Amino acid sequence: MFSLVLLNGGVGTRVSAGQPKQFIRVNGLPIIVYSLVAADAVDEVEEIVLNYPEGWLEETEKLVIDYAVKKPVTYVPAGRTRHESVRLMLPHCKHERVILHETARPLVGAADFRGVVADPHENASFMLPIPFTVAPVDPDVGKVTGSLDRARLRNVQLPQKFRKADLEAAHEYAAREGVVFTEDATLVAVAGFDVYFLDGDDRNFKVTTPTDVRLAGYLLGGEDNDE
Amino acid sequence: MSRSIMVTGASRGIGAATVERFYYADNDVTDFILLARESDAFTALMEKLRADNPYDKRAAGYAIDLADRPQTIDLMKDVMHNHGKVEILVNNAGYTAPCAMQQVDFADFERTIGVNLYAPFTIVQELLRNGNSFELIINIASTAGMNGRPGWLTYSASKAALITMSEVMKEELAIYGTRVVCISPGRCATDLRKTLAPDEDSSTIMQPGHVAGVIEMLASDIGRFVDSRNLVVRM
Repeated sequence: MFSLVLLNGGVGTRVSAGQPKQFIRVNGLPIIVYSLVAADAVDEVEEIVLNYPEGWLEETEKLVIDYAVKKPVTYVPAGRTRHESVRLMLPHCKHERVILHETARPLVGAADFRGVVADPHENASFMLPIPFTVAPVDPDVGKVTGSLDRARLRNVQLPQKFRKADLEAAHEYAAREGVVFTEDATLVAVAGFDVYFLDGDDRNFKVTTPTDVRLAGYLLGGEDNDE
Repeated sequence: MSRSIMVTGASRGIGAATVERFYYADNDVTDFILLARESDAFTALMEKLRADNPYDKRAAGYAIDLADRPQTIDLMKDVMHNHGKVEILVNNAGYTAPCAMQQVDFADFERTIGVNLYAPFTIVQELLRNGNSFELIINIASTAGMNGRPGWLTYSASKAALITMSEVMKEELAIYGTRVVCISPGRCATDLRKTLAPDEDSSTIMQPGHVAGVIEMLASDIGRFVDSRNLVVRM
């Protein structure tokens, strides 16, 4: 059984909605609702550890109540960074295995959670092949510094799953080394643990910009793939 | 697998026809949650269901005036406690007191909106808040909600709102895999129709059983292939 660490703490300045992006509406519903409902339908998820931006606990609790989320939910204040938020949420997880997800990915479905749970490895993340070329650069001088083989790169997605002990050890490693990661699959791998990837779905993208909000709304609005 | 069905306005017309259609068929719908105002017709229906129960089904009747929102909210808690789930919901209860605009009594307008619009909303919202997962919600609107008719202001307005509300429900409840269908019957031989058109020969128009047949189809395996914003059912 798993604890779900549901990241919900970002302020989302790029979406420019005048409120934390977890409360922006995608296809009419607060974006956080999609992840809560999807996770609530997954038997292997036994609890949800959910963080909230400062000042938004009441709103977050109200949404959980309004949508009658059945799993027990533990609320944790957001850290200053996503990296810190995960570190702060882990001690609240009762289970030895955790799933990480972020509410900014509203196209996640229960099948995605079940998919990562079913992966035979202890540490696994959905990832997408990169269909375009990514260049390494020196941004200070505006110069391209080489090339990267895109066949050996992946776009990191969520959900992910980890042994809690591995994820905690990876965060201890990051604290010792003074490094901050923007996501956890690479952190755990760099800290020396095996992390595997499953091919994800390009629909399960992270809503970051106003254009993303519109695209997610379109996709959630029941576009007909068969026509 | 056994499914439960809740029907509002169950005592007469399309509601009663729907109940009987599902009850007297050898199907997997076995738990009947029937809501109606207290009436001889409701008592008679419940007695009939008890006396003639060929498939050993369970029928529970709840007397309620759906214009009473606090009572409706309380009842939904009782329903979840007693039945555990509502898989099929038929929001059928309707009310009308047709009259010209200048004669509309505002309290009556409020009652019309209360029964025809607020009650379906309250039932769905409260059942969701009590942890229910619907398979199918059928809201019974009316062709009178698609075109305004003189003398039917309150009824037409309430049904127009129900049609639109159903579209929103359909979109919002898709996250649970719930199907929401709005049916707009045309002229149908119900008591409500008699109120709207007292001089009509009811034997010449669509019967409640015909609409119940459409509802049965929507709840069947093939029903999931019917995706309509507003399914017009008329003769």
